[in-house]
Amino acid sequence: MAKRGKLEIIKDMLKIIQDNRNSIKSTPLLRQSNISSARFKEYFNELLDKKFIKEFNHKGEKFISLTEKGFKFLEKYKTIINFIDEFEL
Amino acid sequence: MPPFMPPFMRSLATIGLGTEILYSFVIIVCSLMVYYGTKELYELSSYKGIKYFRQAFLFFAIAYFFRSFIKFILLYFNVREIREFSPMLFGNFTLLIFIYFSSLAIFYLLYSIMWKKWNGNSNKIYLLHGLALVISVISVYSRNSLIYLGLNIFLFCFVILSVYIAYKNSKNKFKGHNLYAIYVLLLLFWILNIIDILIPSFFQTFQLFIYLASSGIFLTILYRVLKKVGN
Repeated sequence: MAKRGKLEIIKDMLKIIQDNRNSIKSTPLLRQSNISSARFKEYFNELLDKKFIKEFNHKGEKFISLTEKGFKFLEKYKTIINFIDEFEL
Repeated sequence: MPPFMPPFMRSLATIGLGTEILYSFVIIVCSLMVYYGTKELYELSSYKGIKYFRQAFLFFAIAYFFRSFIKFILLYFNVREIREFSPMLFGNFTLLIFIYFSSLAIFYLLYSIMWKKWNGNSNKIYLLHGLALVISVISVYSRNSLIYLGLNIFLFCFVILSVYIAYKNSKNKFKGHNLYAIYVLLLLFWILNIIDILIPSFFQTFQLFIYLASSGIFLTILYRVLKKVGN
């Protein structure tokens, strides 16, 4: 199986959140993302910094959901990949 | 101009400031459309390849602005003082900026397809800036066309070799085939453009054809970008 690139990992993480009715806890997200916890932390912080995801509290528990920018990334993911492929970037 | 050239061809080949400004305008518009058309993709992905690709076209726009568009603005607004103060200094300054930014644009375009193979080390970016500066200073101040031609032949060989390596390692060779040809043509016409400026008598007859071919390459790249970006 080919190694996933950074953009693909980000897309997979955002897709997992979206598929879970846009609300998931960090532990199942880590499990389903299929990456090491160190890398997960790194990506998770990057997604928060870039405002692709946000954290919110519900009944005392922390959940993660996509922001508008996160949805936009998923919408444009194929265009980004096609563009990179087209121009061999 | 060769005597065998028919009169209509002669008039076509005679380039005035208007044609030069129009040519620069086409390149600037195409470059800025590529730059702004890919803004959203870069903002979402933060992908380095897209960043260098966009910057290459921003540098093309700046270079061509200094090439002749600035002449138009100075003439239009009748800003004679600067030109009369020291026309040589003004000419050398704009030429230096043009060669610096256009060299940088070519290097960034090359870097956008090679950054992964060159380990994405940001120090290389400073090296490219330094190289562009050296090329522009030598071109403007040496006034030796042989040095300049030698420099460009070296640069041409270097870029051709890098593009060939990128093409050989490419996953989608057949799909990317036209793109590499476009990049090589872009480099070729960039060199012809600069030779045309530094040694005006060299390509006098074919100036218009160089302009048309260069514009065609930029329009082709713009078309491919807009087709992929979808706006």
